[in-house]
Amino acid sequence: MKSMEKTQGKIGIKEFVAIILLTVGTKLSDNTPNILYEDIANAAWLSIFLICLIWLIPLVLLIKLNTLYKDKNLIEIIQHLFGKYLGFAILFICWFMQTYVMFYNSVIYPDIIKTMYFNNTPLLVIALVLMAVTSFGAMKGLESIGSTAWITLIVIKISLIMVLVITFLQGEMDFIYPLLGEGGWKLIKESYNNSSIFTEFLYIFFIASSIKNTKVFTKGLWIGYIFVSIEFILALVGYVMIFDYYGIRLLDYPYHETIRYIQLGFLTNVELFFFPFWIVASFIRLSFYLYLSALLFGALFKIKQFQYIVPTLATISVFLGLIPQSITFSIDYLREIFLQIITPFVLSLPLILWITAKLKGELKK
Amino acid sequence: MEEEILKNKTIDSDLENTIDIFKSLYSVPMNTDVSIRNLFIGGLNRNATAISIKTISDSEKIEEQIIRPLLSNSDSDLTIEDICAAQFLNTHSQIQEILKDINNGNTALFLDGENKAYLFDTVKFHGRSVEKAINEVSLRGPKEAFNEDVAANISLIRKKIRNENLVVESVTISKRSNNELYIVYMKDLVNDKLLKDVKDKLNSLDVNAIQNLSVLEEYIEDSSKSIFPTILSTERPDRTVSFLEDGYIALLMNNSPDSLILPATFWSFYHNPEDHYLRFVFGNFIRLLRFLALLITLFVSAFYIAAINYHVEMIPSDLLLAISATREVIPFPAIIEILLMEIAFELIREAGLRVPNPIGPTIGIVGALILGQAAVDANIVSPLVVIIVALSGLCSFAVGDISLNFSIRLIRFLFIFSAALFGFYGITALFTCGIFYLVSFRSFGVPYLAPMTPKYISSKDTIFRKMLKKELYRPGYLKPQDIEKKKDNS
Repeated sequence: MKSMEKTQGKIGIKEFVAIILLTVGTKLSDNTPNILYEDIANAAWLSIFLICLIWLIPLVLLIKLNTLYKDKNLIEIIQHLFGKYLGFAILFICWFMQTYVMFYNSVIYPDIIKTMYFNNTPLLVIALVLMAVTSFGAMKGLESIGSTAWITLIVIKISLIMVLVITFLQGEMDFIYPLLGEGGWKLIKESYNNSSIFTEFLYIFFIASSIKNTKVFTKGLWIGYIFVSIEFILALVGYVMIFDYYGIRLLDYPYHETIRYIQLGFLTNVELFFFPFWIVASFIRLSFYLYLSALLFGALFKIKQFQYIVPTLATISVFLGLIPQSITFSIDYLREIFLQIITPFVLSLPLILWITAKLKGELKK
Repeated sequence: MEEEILKNKTIDSDLENTIDIFKSLYSVPMNTDVSIRNLFIGGLNRNATAISIKTISDSEKIEEQIIRPLLSNSDSDLTIEDICAAQFLNTHSQIQEILKDINNGNTALFLDGENKAYLFDTVKFHGRSVEKAINEVSLRGPKEAFNEDVAANISLIRKKIRNENLVVESVTISKRSNNELYIVYMKDLVNDKLLKDVKDKLNSLDVNAIQNLSVLEEYIEDSSKSIFPTILSTERPDRTVSFLEDGYIALLMNNSPDSLILPATFWSFYHNPEDHYLRFVFGNFIRLLRFLALLITLFVSAFYIAAINYHVEMIPSDLLLAISATREVIPFPAIIEILLMEIAFELIREAGLRVPNPIGPTIGIVGALILGQAAVDANIVSPLVVIIVALSGLCSFAVGDISLNFSIRLIRFLFIFSAALFGFYGITALFTCGIFYLVSFRSFGVPYLAPMTPKYISSKDTIFRKMLKKELYRPGYLKPQDIEKKKDNS
């Protein structure tokens, strides 16, 4: 008789990969590509390749630590290695970064929806609906987020693949030259500066103990990592093939401009056939962000039933999001600075953790 | 409470006294269908009295197999059990126990000088015979359906599972009417914890009467206010059996022409036994159709409203011109149009069901045709809306299960409202909430969308079915004692 697997409270590999694909993968359809294009023009896709390489070392280190402390997630590992006070400080920084990103996204997504699809609807209403759905999801917990991600993943990715295929068919291959964009050195520098785009891969370790086992976690992480990188690169190449070197830097939301631009046989305006899939992905992505934010907050202040913080966080983020005027400019600028500030921190944290573990002599066990 | 005290007493050896007690309990002679027969047993040289209820017992059997042998007996060595040919059940001395047996159609025989009653099986309830399934029609496969007689239902199940591990346990679930419920399961498959949970739940019921399974359903459901059903009700014995063989639990009851299957997942409502009776390709084809129908029912009206109100640019311009030309003369916004027709359709559907049989179909068709045509001519709705509502109404019939059918019909209205408020944004918001809700929803501890997510070992019978040869496992979410179907464990 085969052993029966208990999945109670733990998520399997499918759900885990789905979470990674939707949280990191959806970034290619917000304003993240825009930041890359602004700095390094059409070579943005190469920079994703570089970012991918840069992240290899931190990821390997984190996986090592995760395999070492089997039942612990990154929160507990940090508390264990850094002690009470330093651990608190680092977790607080992590929480702050996460919450900032969440606030930021709860501004940017309503803005995308408003500017691209619902010009007449007030921003506040859009944001309220968005946060209501995402907090509903976040309160249901990680298992539900994972399951929802898995159920919707296939259609979301099919719609993305369709967009990419059409883009490649209707775009100009020549537009991707010059390959290095504004030059090799700038490419490397900006790739490093923006490599915190993949910060989610660090945050994924905060839920490591909710995955079925370490093996599944490691496998799922690599699958997600490779898949996300490939789709990111393809998407960035695709946008350039449509809009070219100069045009691409003027766009705020390249994905949405792309689905407006492409045609599908007799249908000339196809963006609304892709919009629902994108918005479902965004709901799930923001739910996961909210969940992470609440999880870290709960860990910091020892709140066991942390899901009850979700509505508060969501409400605050809606109202904070209303403060900045002229969203796309001010927020874009803020985000670029933010990405550059946190890069050294997120890249060095795994290394510091690993060194601390080594110094404490725990790696030999 | 004088009666209660009386019922808890035991009978004494004085026959006349005993009969008086029973006469008063049954209000004889006011109560006309209680039969009290006094007789004298020659061989034993004793007076005796037989009590039964005429309308629920087999009077011929009582006459031939109990009364006549007793009257004609001359042998003094024989015991009562030996004299009577009818099946002897038991002896009881407590009044309450005897009453229960008589109320169930058995015959109680009292002997002068003995402080106990002999009980004989003479049950004969009236009911219909086994007939064709009417609500869950299938073209291939067995046609017989459950009826109101639980003995016949159990026999239909036993006919398909000739195995000693099939257990039919009975529980009395109501205090006053003493309704009996039968828990049916495979002893060597069912998960013991699940079985215990179900039994605990049944034993904790504190109600006067539960007439049938349809009523019981609400009492034992975890989330009876939810829009989604958590217990499957089926009138097909073949379907019940296939669930039993997977380790599910079935509940049967007298007066219920169906069985309740628990726990139930979304897929058990979505499936139809015919999917497996048809060839692999055909079976999956109808699954695909059903899935499409489900999506069309849920979304088509909402899409129309969203497209007309918010996303006009997505409609090809020729079609858009045609739509706006027909909508030009209509004074209502799209939502009113759709709601008018949707509600009209729901009304026709409900009324068509309640109309007496011979005129039912006529009224339905005429009502729908006339209402649709006339509404367009009167410029109340546009022709496209009639098509859309007819399509969504028609498609809703493809989901066979009554409960899921209701869920989908209701959710369709939610989608219509969300589309009217926020277009596609509203539809997707509601859809995402719905998925979040569904994945966290449980029926007797089993995730509603299992085994799709969370994953369990199973035959992967979800949207599409696999080849029968590949359906090797029982559903893992039930945690059955034996998960492999092919394993030889006899």
